[in-house]
Amino acid sequence: MKIFRPLILLILPALAILGCDRSKSTAAAKSRLQLFAFSSYIPQEAIDGFTRETGIPIDYEVYPTNEAMLQKLSANPDHYDVIQPSDYMVEHLVARHMLAPLDPHQLPHLENILGEFRGLPFDPGNQFSVPYMAGTVGIVVNSDKIKAPIRGYKDVFQEKYKGRIVVVDDPREMVTWALETAGIPINDVTPQTLARVKPTLVEWVKLKNIYNSDDPKPPLLSDDRDLGVIYCGDAAALWQENHKFKYVLPAEGAHRFIDNLCIPAGSKHKAEAMAFIDYILRPEVSKMISDKFPYTNPNGAARKLLSKDQLDNPASYPPGSAKLEIFRAIGKASVDLQDMMSEIRHAD
Amino acid sequence: MKHLLAGWTYAVMAFLYLPIVLLAVYSFNNSPLSILWSGFTLRWYAVVWHDSLLIGAIENSLLIATAATVISVILGTLAAWLLYRYKFPGTAATYTLLVTPMIIPEVIMGVSLMLFFRAIGMELGFVTVIIAHVTFCFPFVMAAVQARLAGLDPAMEEAAMDLGATPARAFFRVILPYLTPGIIAGAMLAFTLSLDEFVVTYFTYDARSMTLPVRIYTAIHGAGARPALNAVSTLFIVATAILVVASDAIRRKPKQ
Amino acid sequence: MSRETPITSAGSLSRPAWRGWSLFAILAGWLILFVVLPTLILLVYSFFRGGNGEVEPAFTFANYAKCFRAPYPAVFGWSLAYAALTTALCALIGYPVAFYIGRSSPARRNRLLMLIMIPFATSFLIRTYAWMTLLSHDGLVMYLLRVTHLIPLIFPENLQLLYTNGSVLIVLVYSYLPFMILPIYGSVEKLDESLIEAAADLGAGPFRAFTGVIFPLTLPGVAAGALMVFVPAVAMFAVTTLMSGGNIRLIGDEIEFQCLEGGNLPFGSALGMILLAMFVLSFFLFMRRGAGAKADMMR
Repeated sequence: MKIFRPLILLILPALAILGCDRSKSTAAAKSRLQLFAFSSYIPQEAIDGFTRETGIPIDYEVYPTNEAMLQKLSANPDHYDVIQPSDYMVEHLVARHMLAPLDPHQLPHLENILGEFRGLPFDPGNQFSVPYMAGTVGIVVNSDKIKAPIRGYKDVFQEKYKGRIVVVDDPREMVTWALETAGIPINDVTPQTLARVKPTLVEWVKLKNIYNSDDPKPPLLSDDRDLGVIYCGDAAALWQENHKFKYVLPAEGAHRFIDNLCIPAGSKHKAEAMAFIDYILRPEVSKMISDKFPYTNPNGAARKLLSKDQLDNPASYPPGSAKLEIFRAIGKASVDLQDMMSEIRHAD
Repeated sequence: MKHLLAGWTYAVMAFLYLPIVLLAVYSFNNSPLSILWSGFTLRWYAVVWHDSLLIGAIENSLLIATAATVISVILGTLAAWLLYRYKFPGTAATYTLLVTPMIIPEVIMGVSLMLFFRAIGMELGFVTVIIAHVTFCFPFVMAAVQARLAGLDPAMEEAAMDLGATPARAFFRVILPYLTPGIIAGAMLAFTLSLDEFVVTYFTYDARSMTLPVRIYTAIHGAGARPALNAVSTLFIVATAILVVASDAIRRKPKQ
Repeated sequence: MSRETPITSAGSLSRPAWRGWSLFAILAGWLILFVVLPTLILLVYSFFRGGNGEVEPAFTFANYAKCFRAPYPAVFGWSLAYAALTTALCALIGYPVAFYIGRSSPARRNRLLMLIMIPFATSFLIRTYAWMTLLSHDGLVMYLLRVTHLIPLIFPENLQLLYTNGSVLIVLVYSYLPFMILPIYGSVEKLDESLIEAAADLGAGPFRAFTGVIFPLTLPGVAAGALMVFVPAVAMFAVTTLMSGGNIRLIGDEIEFQCLEGGNLPFGSALGMILLAMFVLSFFLFMRRGAGAKADMMR
């Protein structure tokens, strides 16, 4: 009798594996769209809507960062059909011939994208990418706690705010702000420019900031911190929570980011992928996305469907944001940048 | 003395449960962001209920953890017993190798396994995730069983063999029951480790085998919305509690 | 029929027959396939040139050279320090708990064990976020301190609980406590009551009985617990950066960063290989010395 118990325990995992394998083989019969994107960044209703309309099921695989996406894509180039890279990553992928060109004839709704979001430097001609959502990185201030005017990075990184600042945890971001403060173009990253902004960064790091890209909101909400430089999406959520959180684009200069939809060159379902991308470009679908993510929607037709509150959110649609720089791929300079930031961050 | 120990133990328990209780309480908080209480609501649970991707992830996590734990127990107990019982050449080297998965940084293990599976042409999915989990879990089971083995009376096995048992029977009838507390301790550790594993899982999973940690970690990292984390966590704890209590009840039944 | 003999005295392990070898082969096979080979792949990568998400198959020691330049040696040092401190704290806090559980009745024992494990059934990231909420400026702990007037009587209003070294340690200990408790429990549970009675009969007081008899017998459990806490804790990531607001970054964080966001897999591999080498070497030497000492005892 006692022998049977270990046997039962052995059967369990075997069944588990068998059960899963079976579902995989029936799935292979129909074509399934392999979506590889940031988690929850494409609303489930949008996905379900597409499947209902076209009968094409979608498998949604997720990744935490662009670089993590690149790792898996490089190792499995023919597995994914739609990916969601950010601006500089698109440029990176194009240079390595990892993206499939998009056929504008299969994307009738592409015209919904506003002019300011078309033909961007990382993909002039929108040959390989379609903008999904855009945003900026800017200054958020708890106007209840801080009455002095905060207009730019220099106002934020002052000695009197030591231990009161929260920033995104991205070495390239901080260096970019230092470059903007020094009046250097943000994509001009060389050992010389890095050396020029190093003293500024050393001073900034001495202010004991909180570094958190994933969720900078809690310290601001709990009064552990009073101001910071964060993504507009988080700032917009803070604004929605309480209008005391004001969003300001730094006077020295700001940059915007664009997340895009692309098709990997190795995709086996390119036609279905294009259909999906076109579906996302429809105004009512794009509006659905804006409802969930208060970023800057590049879809003009969708913007017409947004509520006044949404359009009035200064973090989602900051005034004067049309002429902003965008990250370009900086190649090997990124290693120098990271080394320098690593050294500065660990110096205590 | 006993009271002091009991008091200390319950204090530690309180320490362990404090954040969990907080999670549960906040899962009913009406405000998504603020720590301040703004009314009781069940809407987060509704969000979870309707999020089929999330529910699938929870199922996968429990399934994978169970499978990985079972295989880890087998491998871990095997390893502990073999090292104890026999003199293999290069014991130190073997033991070092066995404990290595404990130290390898998760990202290194994840990327290397992904590249390895790709090199041998194995598709990423449930099987690869389970293999990965077993690999870093079973050393923990081994260590737990070894601690138990250290106190094994050598006479036990000798006595069984004197009574005519083969080494295999001696093992299953005499040694194994003695090892059970160590095995259970190891199994619990393995189960927990597997449930919580994100980095290695990320590199070895595919869409159908997404686990809860993958869903949670990527949601927090990325631009997307938080999938009602407090509600999910509370549900998960409740689910695991039920599982643990149930398995314990089953385990006790055949004792008649 | 079998050439295997049972263990008759400590240290006289028998040579394995075919049964032993075939079982060993399963184990070895698993290890080679899923530990050795993948690690070798990344060892090779660590000699490539990396950066910006690319991997250039050139042979270079540059990555390893970088590991020995500032700030990385200090980062390694701090990681070991935090891991050691965490292990010590876990042992101090966990031993009494494991002892109490091990000496309880079987019914209570099982209940307590389950109670210990259940909080760990959720993502450690979530648990960490819960701690951040607890310790934040308008969190529960601050609220209690204010309500009991400990603020402003003893502590200042701008007391910083979160984003400190202390908060990092709290969550580290919290995360690893079960890994210490469970192995020690395994040792305690099999304590032979008669040994303890014998010690008492020979006139030893409870303190002597503990230090002379009980504690030494539970040492294997403590050693196993120390191993299971210290070793993984050195490679710990995420908890440290979250609880310190990104101000404390240990080697695990650094490796994770380089391999993922940093886009420099070769350098991340190099850091990882050094970590691995540090551990493998010290563990191997420790085991050899341990085996040698045992052999000495046999003479």
